[in-house]
Amino acid sequence: MHEFRVQVGPAAFRIGSAWREPLAQMAELYRDYPQPEFTDFSVRLEPTGLLRRWLRPSVAICGDYMLPDAAPLPLAQGLLAAEMAMNLQMALGWRRHLLLHASAVERDGRVLVMTGQSGSGKSTLSALLGSRGWRFMGDEFVLLDPVSGDAVPFPRLISLKNSAIAAMQAVKPDGHFGPLLAGTPKGDIRHLVPPGDAIARMGQGGAPALLLFPRFGYPGEVREVAPGETFMRLTQASTNYVALGEAGFTTLTRFVRSVPSRAIDYQSGEEAVALVEQLWERLA
Amino acid sequence: MGSSKILYRAEPADQRLVEPLDMMTLIYQRRSGITHMVGEPVPQMLAAMGDDAVDAAILAKRLAKTFDLGGAADAVAVLSERLEELAELGLVERITDA
Amino acid sequence: MMSGEIPDNDDAMQMPTRRRALMLGAAGVAAVVSVRPALAQTAGSVLNCEIPVPGPHGAGMNIDATGNLVAPDTPGSFTATGQRFSGEEVKRALSGQTLPGTTYEQSQAYVNYIRRLQAGQSGFTCFASLQMPR
Repeated sequence: MHEFRVQVGPAAFRIGSAWREPLAQMAELYRDYPQPEFTDFSVRLEPTGLLRRWLRPSVAICGDYMLPDAAPLPLAQGLLAAEMAMNLQMALGWRRHLLLHASAVERDGRVLVMTGQSGSGKSTLSALLGSRGWRFMGDEFVLLDPVSGDAVPFPRLISLKNSAIAAMQAVKPDGHFGPLLAGTPKGDIRHLVPPGDAIARMGQGGAPALLLFPRFGYPGEVREVAPGETFMRLTQASTNYVALGEAGFTTLTRFVRSVPSRAIDYQSGEEAVALVEQLWERLA
Repeated sequence: MGSSKILYRAEPADQRLVEPLDMMTLIYQRRSGITHMVGEPVPQMLAAMGDDAVDAAILAKRLAKTFDLGGAADAVAVLSERLEELAELGLVERITDA
Repeated sequence: MMSGEIPDNDDAMQMPTRRRALMLGAAGVAAVVSVRPALAQTAGSVLNCEIPVPGPHGAGMNIDATGNLVAPDTPGSFTATGQRFSGEEVKRALSGQTLPGTTYEQSQAYVNYIRRLQAGQSGFTCFASLQMPR
């Protein structure tokens, strides 16, 4: 069993694998991240059956926290399996912060949070802003501190899908990209290592100042979202709202009371960045 | 009185956290850990019930002191339904007359 | 009122101010929505899941139009081979498309079978994760 350890924001992971290759890829992409001694979560990439270690190798994700019925992935997508497994551990097991399925970037100590379903563009938009002077904090989860209300960084590898891959390669031709994983259940995927300052400052949070619901592929528009609707949507975007009980309630109500919320539609990265800058200027 | 009457009593106020927002009020129920998003007239009902055991008619009278309830008979019927809804959720308890 | 005094708006002798209308809601319409755990929805977006039809507990049985497991020779029932459908495919079937590789009626039967899955049966978590709103 090969092993790899990595610290991302406040969480430390240990990833074991029956095969060397996925971990070698991870080690290369995560080379600038701290390697922790003690870990919060263990994840293992295991063969789905005795023969599957060698013959059309098929990866099953196992870990401290698991979901049954998960479909195995081919070994070529082992890196994706490891990333999904890390997401799953956080989603099911992290209790120290309220988790929102969202991306975030920071400027001047204040945080822009973007939330939406897969495909809404929150991940790509955070990567784009991260290369436009904002500090990237994460593209999958935003962690809210129940005591201070601050958003805490969780800067994993940015997961770019399908057309977003070429778009980001054009924006960041010298970016550190992972291998192209073609034909995954979510289409083509390529990981992008976050910028150096995102990794260096992964211990520094900030006060959330603006919440956006981005929607890529529609004519440009900005709509106000009332706190009641925001609250309801965020409970559905949180993996551990219910599990946190009273702390979840007070953290989320504080958030919706203090952070203005807008839905934005856009048809290009440039348009999105312009909308973001305008709204930040006016509201944050 | 012939038939037994059901009265309703709200949970003690310190058993819940109440956050009024724009179009709804959030109620976090400490006992169950469940968050309820409630619309009118629920927060007003809970406030009017205080610590007392009431039925829909009594509750309607109390609410009518501060609010315009529209038609009287309708109000009692709808409040009955609301009280049952809250009882199902555990926000109020049912007390049956012995 | 003494001269120079500002009139007291709370004077009990004045007409009572108009009470605002309280929306009591309509009969038959709930006034409360409770927050349900949404973990599964988010986890579903990070993990591809599958639902076999039928699961191992129904191996060798057929599925009737209402989604129950029945003996293979039951008239009007549909054969099922344990074919695995992805969460995406089931999500689309729930909104009206046909499951891949099935006829319309067969797909309806399969979807009803999936709707009847209970905790502990293969595919339940995947199905539950599809049920979270948006």
